[in-house]
Amino acid sequence: MDELGKLHQLIIPFLGHNITINLEVILMTWIVFALLIIIGLCASNKKSILPRPIQSLGELIVSLLYELTEDALGKELAKTYAPLICALFMFLLFSNWLGLIPHLEEPTKDLNTTLGLGIMGFVIAHYAGIKSKGIKAYLKEYFQPIFFMMPLNVIGELAKIVSISFRLFGNIMGGSIIILVVSYLTYSLILPPFLYAFFGLFVGTIQAFVFTMLTVVYISVQVK
Amino acid sequence: MALDVETIVSLAAYVGGGLAMGLGAIGAAIGEGYTAAQANMAVSRDPKNSGEIFKNMLVGQAVAESASIFALVIAILLLFLDVPAPTLLKAAALFGAGISMGFGAIGSGVGSGYPGGKACEGIARQPAVASQLTTNMLIGSAVCQTPAIFSMVVALMLMFINFGNAPLFPTWAAYLGAGISMGLAAIGSGYGGGLAAGASCEGIARQPRTAANVTTIMLVGQAVAQTPSIFGLLVSFILMFKSFPESTALSASMALLGAGICTGFGGIGPGLGNGMTAEGAVRWVARNVEHAGDLMRIMLVGQAVSQSTAIYAMVVSLVLIFVV
Repeated sequence: MDELGKLHQLIIPFLGHNITINLEVILMTWIVFALLIIIGLCASNKKSILPRPIQSLGELIVSLLYELTEDALGKELAKTYAPLICALFMFLLFSNWLGLIPHLEEPTKDLNTTLGLGIMGFVIAHYAGIKSKGIKAYLKEYFQPIFFMMPLNVIGELAKIVSISFRLFGNIMGGSIIILVVSYLTYSLILPPFLYAFFGLFVGTIQAFVFTMLTVVYISVQVK
Repeated sequence: MALDVETIVSLAAYVGGGLAMGLGAIGAAIGEGYTAAQANMAVSRDPKNSGEIFKNMLVGQAVAESASIFALVIAILLLFLDVPAPTLLKAAALFGAGISMGFGAIGSGVGSGYPGGKACEGIARQPAVASQLTTNMLIGSAVCQTPAIFSMVVALMLMFINFGNAPLFPTWAAYLGAGISMGLAAIGSGYGGGLAAGASCEGIARQPRTAANVTTIMLVGQAVAQTPSIFGLLVSFILMFKSFPESTALSASMALLGAGICTGFGGIGPGLGNGMTAEGAVRWVARNVEHAGDLMRIMLVGQAVSQSTAIYAMVVSLVLIFVV
């Protein structure tokens, strides 16, 4: 139970400020990167007309996500953004599933990961908006319906980052806390595997999908 | 009758446990009742498939019950919790945990009854897609539980995290406020998410070929409808983990309590309203799937506008915490 609310941190003093590095989170993120690269290489290695199982799995995932992006953004923009969306989804999926392996933890359990991805999506969406509408039309939207609504519109946009990143963080961290407490109370008998299946596989998949879809939709709201 | 610290801590734990289960029993019962009512209607419409409908009703009710089961777990933990070092601060935290879980279970309980009921109705209408409807119902009602899960997490944190020796004033108000903020803010979001999930089951029964679009827009709609409860979670995290300077003035405590109440109540309406928006969008995507992209955009913009009141509430709470 003592693990609850504790983190392994590396604190480096730098010019009067403390730089805090969450070591475990970085290690887990690198593990996810390595897994993704290995699977990517396996899926694209020795491509053939008659695909091997892993190639068809890769094609299935990529084509599904391409279609979803095309539905929301249209054919032209999908070419630009679909690779990003595929990468985002696969990263989140593997991150959320990583907790199933003993001694590994989900990188998305840390707010820094989800907030970083949320800010990334926000910047990309607004960049896409400025690029397609022009800076004037983009800025004009903040003064809708009346000019003094500007600060509230800005806060509303910023609140999107908070909601998208806390949604993922809250779900994954909540699941792991519930698993920790229940494992402690039941001496790790019977219940924890089912909880891992629910929170890790099921909720993890849904939340990865929701985060990806919201990023796509935020881009499409900005573009059109 | 002398009230020593130990008595006050167990008092808070017992009252908190009672509140958690008492309030937590409200929602799920209503939701399950709705599911059963729709199942009755569905059986009378299509008696041949009564077995399938009955099975679906039981599965739907079992999922809808989970919010109450969370409340039961928290209540039992509060009743039998062994506090190693009882302090008045712990008493406030335990009471807050009970409030958070009790209120937090209401919305998700009522909400997750809707997909169950609509799925029963849908099976009567389109028996061929029964398994698809059950799957969609399970996804929808599981996502509905998110606000209740957030409440449970806040309750567990208040109960088990050792916050060290923070000053009693005004930290007691912060812990109580954290519970109130999360608990109340979860009501609207849970209920609203249920409306969207119900509409998606109805939509798939109407047009099974649109299932992929309907499920996608349901998930996005539910996720956005959960935003007010995420604001509640954010405010309660700040209240729990920010260290406040000691101050015996009552106003400092009341500011923190007010911050919790503000985000809590402020989240009820937007959560429900966003759920209604999502319900409308999901229902009409099933009828007019060609324009799913437009519908989703308009849904999001509408939800963002109706969410602005939750954002005002959160801004006021943050001002109360950081400025006042």
